[in-house]
Amino acid sequence: MVGSPVQLIAIPLFAAFLIPLLGKAWKELVRITPGVVILYLLYLSVDLLNYTIEHGRVVEVIAGWTPPWGIDLVFSPFSGFLATLMLFMGLLVWIYSYRYQTFEDYDDYEPTLKYYLLLMMMITASVGVVLTGDIFNLFVFIEILGITAYGLTAYYRHRDGAEASFKYLFIGSLSSTFLLLAIMIIYSQLGTLNMADIAVKAHELKPVYKITALVLFLVAFGIEAEMFPLNGWAPDAYSQAPAPVGAAFAGIVVKAGLYTVIRLIYTLFEVGGTYEYLIVMGLITMFFAEFAAFSQTKLKRMLAYSSIGQMGLVLVAFGIGKEEGVYAALFLMFNHAIIKSLLFMSGSYLVYKSKNKYISELNGVGKMMPVTSFLFALGAFAIVGFPPFAGFWSKLAVLTAAADSGMLLIIALILSISLIEVIYYLRVVNRIYFVKRDTDLGITKPTPQAMFSMLVLGAIILIVGFYPDVITGVLHKASATLLDKGSYINDVLSLSQTIN
Amino acid sequence: MSLGSNLDLLTVTFYGTAIALILIGLYAALVKRSLIKILIGLSIVDSGINLLLVSIGYLKGGTAPIFSPAVIDKNPAMVDPVPQALVLTAIVIGFAVTAVALALVIRLYRHHKTVNIDEIKNLKW
Amino acid sequence: MNIIHITLGILLGGAILTYFANKISGVVRDLMFISTIVVAAALFFIKMTPDTVAVFNLGGITLSLGMNHLGLLFSIIILGLAVLAGFYSLPYMKGKDNLGFFYMNYLLSIFGMMGIVMSKDLVSFFIFWEIMTWSSYLIVVYNGNKANKIGIKYILFSALGAYSMLMAIVMVYSQLHSFSIADLSAGFTTMPASYQITIALLLITGFAVKAAMMPLHVWAPDAYSNAPMSYTAMFSGALSKMGVYGLVIVFVTMVSHLPQNFWVRETIAWLGAITAGMATIYAIFQDDAKKLLAYSSVAQLGYIITGVAIGTEISMIAALMLSIVHGMFKANFFMVVGAVERQAGTTDLTVLTGLIRKMPWTFFSALMSAIALAGIPPLVGYVGKWMLYESLISNGNYILVIVIFFASTAGFLYVFKILYSIFLGQEEPEFENVKEAPALMVIPMVIIALLLGFFGAFPGYLLKYIDNALVVMGYPVSQGKWWEMTTLFNAWGNKVSTDLIMYTTITVFVTIAIVLFYRWKNGRYVSTKDISLSGEMPKEDENYSFKLDFYKPFERAISPLLRYKISKYYNEFADGMEAFFDWTRRIYNGNAQTYAIYVITFLVILLLIANNIFTV
Repeated sequence: MVGSPVQLIAIPLFAAFLIPLLGKAWKELVRITPGVVILYLLYLSVDLLNYTIEHGRVVEVIAGWTPPWGIDLVFSPFSGFLATLMLFMGLLVWIYSYRYQTFEDYDDYEPTLKYYLLLMMMITASVGVVLTGDIFNLFVFIEILGITAYGLTAYYRHRDGAEASFKYLFIGSLSSTFLLLAIMIIYSQLGTLNMADIAVKAHELKPVYKITALVLFLVAFGIEAEMFPLNGWAPDAYSQAPAPVGAAFAGIVVKAGLYTVIRLIYTLFEVGGTYEYLIVMGLITMFFAEFAAFSQTKLKRMLAYSSIGQMGLVLVAFGIGKEEGVYAALFLMFNHAIIKSLLFMSGSYLVYKSKNKYISELNGVGKMMPVTSFLFALGAFAIVGFPPFAGFWSKLAVLTAAADSGMLLIIALILSISLIEVIYYLRVVNRIYFVKRDTDLGITKPTPQAMFSMLVLGAIILIVGFYPDVITGVLHKASATLLDKGSYINDVLSLSQTIN
Repeated sequence: MSLGSNLDLLTVTFYGTAIALILIGLYAALVKRSLIKILIGLSIVDSGINLLLVSIGYLKGGTAPIFSPAVIDKNPAMVDPVPQALVLTAIVIGFAVTAVALALVIRLYRHHKTVNIDEIKNLKW
Repeated sequence: MNIIHITLGILLGGAILTYFANKISGVVRDLMFISTIVVAAALFFIKMTPDTVAVFNLGGITLSLGMNHLGLLFSIIILGLAVLAGFYSLPYMKGKDNLGFFYMNYLLSIFGMMGIVMSKDLVSFFIFWEIMTWSSYLIVVYNGNKANKIGIKYILFSALGAYSMLMAIVMVYSQLHSFSIADLSAGFTTMPASYQITIALLLITGFAVKAAMMPLHVWAPDAYSNAPMSYTAMFSGALSKMGVYGLVIVFVTMVSHLPQNFWVRETIAWLGAITAGMATIYAIFQDDAKKLLAYSSVAQLGYIITGVAIGTEISMIAALMLSIVHGMFKANFFMVVGAVERQAGTTDLTVLTGLIRKMPWTFFSALMSAIALAGIPPLVGYVGKWMLYESLISNGNYILVIVIFFASTAGFLYVFKILYSIFLGQEEPEFENVKEAPALMVIPMVIIALLLGFFGAFPGYLLKYIDNALVVMGYPVSQGKWWEMTTLFNAWGNKVSTDLIMYTTITVFVTIAIVLFYRWKNGRYVSTKDISLSGEMPKEDENYSFKLDFYKPFERAISPLLRYKISKYYNEFADGMEAFFDWTRRIYNGNAQTYAIYVITFLVILLLIANNIFTV
């Protein structure tokens, strides 16, 4: 073990203050530093993940105050897997954005500085969300995540970024209001903010408080997890943010949102009916999002709605519960992070020169940008679940998990939704490859850095598709960890493996 | 500490005011059409929540939660320090969010020449 | 490492290498492509023995591949056609764009098909099925014309089929906790009846899409006719047979255990027959050779489905026989049309005319295919039909026999139309310079044409493999009971000697030919325009062939039947769904405040009903 979980949060926070200073010395450092920091954190996180998979979770106490009084960070195979995934995606997003041309349009380096600072903080906050073991700390990280995301959404001055960002902020502050209210109810009743401690004491809560807090949590976290009908902000934010940020939203931010819902339902409260709630809401989310995606005329909005739909499927998988369901859900999250990021990254280069990003402007672009188009098509094939690409295995995992629990109707619904997905994705692929070009829009070649990160994602899709076992071991371990609530409580409160 | 016990006038006032603030804020945020008014509404909601949070930790006749022998000897009942810490954090966060929001409103106004939320919907469907 | 790994490895690796070989040069790519097929096919037929198995463990699921005689039978269709159509493809596709992409998908779809016939568990079956589906989809849209409409229709129906199959697969899994096909056929009877019927129907749906059974056939005519002909030969000849392969398994292992009162056999048999009848009628009225053949494929698959659905020993033999023979003659027919398209530049039957002297070998292949398709002795086409009629009659399905007999007879009409329009009739100046297709295209066609004749005389060579396949499926040995090497028996003890018919026919034709040749000295060569009608001399530029409105009277007679086009209902349904989708997205009306109201409303509703849905 080279480091401890707290470094995952402390180092980027510290670096965030250093970057402007470093930029004064050499402007390129503004671009380089976040990448170096994230790379180091990724190394740290992978190392920690390996350690925890063998030795069980690591609980770190901040400033010597032991839980339930102090704030603790919990690095388990589950949270560690998500943190590693986020950092990995963060690294790829950083590589992709390096020398991303739109940023160079500005004369000064001020926007570049802001971009990299916000991006790094967004990744840090997401990692913080999944690692923290304290519910108020969670609130703080969610707020940091929110503010950075608002900033990045409104990054482009010439687009409707500000509008999207305002919607995001509006709904986001409602979310934080409910979250704070729920935390308040918990604290007033139980006198604790530590998640493990809450889980232990949850049965002491009076039903009325418990249910009120639960509902407030569900709505607050549901907003972050893009659950219907709380997700009005999401398509706008996805489509207006710069391309790498869209990828980061799909790969990182929404994962943090989902994590909160899952932590709430699987660890915090043991309340009957929450799993069914997840399934029903997940299905509704899927339906409406895929319907909307089907009739989109703009590429990024289509991808955004599709992303929401996928999140619905993840919720359903979590709702199925048991180890198979959680495994399937984590697999889906992994695949979604990889594939949807690839789609955002390649898709935005396909419509780079276009002002409105209409899907019809993709006609015949396959001949002009063969590699990028190929990667987009690969992503499309993978996300609709064609074998032998990555998406197939997660879809199969969800279906077998549902079949194990005898939920045949759910399987049927998931499959009928998949039909819609197949149509709208392949419609785009058709346009890219098989329809004659009818616009005179030029193209912009991806930068080598962008091409590199897209190729990495494409390679992962193929590797996982042909040999899913590279990832399934970690996923099984992570899902087992999430379900083992007792050991979570035990580890946090008795501090079996504490680092001070 | 629980909500049900010692319902004296002061507590009721605290809670009542807080809830009233939240509702007023929500009303403004959901009904008013001006972006500025919506933001004011959201800020009021924030204040209401903060007030609610502080009142939870309040203990009638309690002292400031400072560990000094002189204070503790005089009156061992302290108010709960945690909600206060939380509220401080929440205030800071609320401040930051409001600042970002105002910046966005300025951008929106420059772009659309209006702050009416009904006219700012280029992104839909 | 055994032959299964090697065959699949060669095909997959060859597909990828072919794509990259395209970057080097066209010749390397072509060599890579054809050698992949030839090597894979040669190794497969030399080394493959039934009962070879290969097991992979992926993602916690055991995928096992193996081979039995049924798979072997279908492998013969797949690889045999792949080799022939592969060679044909080289000159046919020459000079087109994106050939690396085309050949990659070509090989991938062969890879998928071979995987399907080797799969011993449902997951690998599904994986290979999907690989086959999307690779063939990419070829269907390859030509680009109306790619969105045709391609989406194909992939939508394919996905519908694939997902109903997937649904069935996970239902099996939920009952048996195993994906193995052997476990399925063993454990099928232990499942609850509702599961049995649902699984069987879902699987039938999945396979019926690929086998283009009504009402799931609407993708087929467009997809067949839009793909390049060198692939359609595979598509209609081999790929559609994968649906038949699946249906055979479903009917043998599952439907035979279903309670009788579900009428599954009868329904599917009737749907097959109706498909045959309707598609034949549509085929007759097509003016485009590709479309005509596409409808004809659907029609022929209808017979096969009927045969499979009846499920008696003789009908299974008939269905499998028809599958092989249809693979041969229809592939050949598509190749003929492809050759005509390449040489004459069009496939429009109202334009094409009089190519017989320009393309004699192509005409010969077309003629042989036409005879086989129509089921006329002495070519092999009649063997399958003979047996199909026999099975239906001995089974007492007289009405089915009438429908199929009608469809089969009407089949004459369209094969005559295609033969006449393309090859016979007056020679027009615009086709003056048409030449015979290159040798690489002609040779595969002629090989198939000769094979059709050879198997017509010795059907036993094919029936032997079919017999083996049926023994694997649990049927008794049929050799000696229904057929000998050159003899067919029927239920009443009569027998037909196929070689005798062949020899007689050949003798008759050769005699006529000799007589004609002998009289040639006295004849003179005339232009095809040298005709007179009722004493009137037509001008040189007037075309007196009657291929416009070829079957107008017939069309008028049955036009009421044609009004019920099933695709109309599908279109209406699709439009309705699209309108509905469009309506639902208006929920996202763009106003941040509305979204906030959604949030608050959702919160309030959830608070109100929380006590009912959550139990503390």
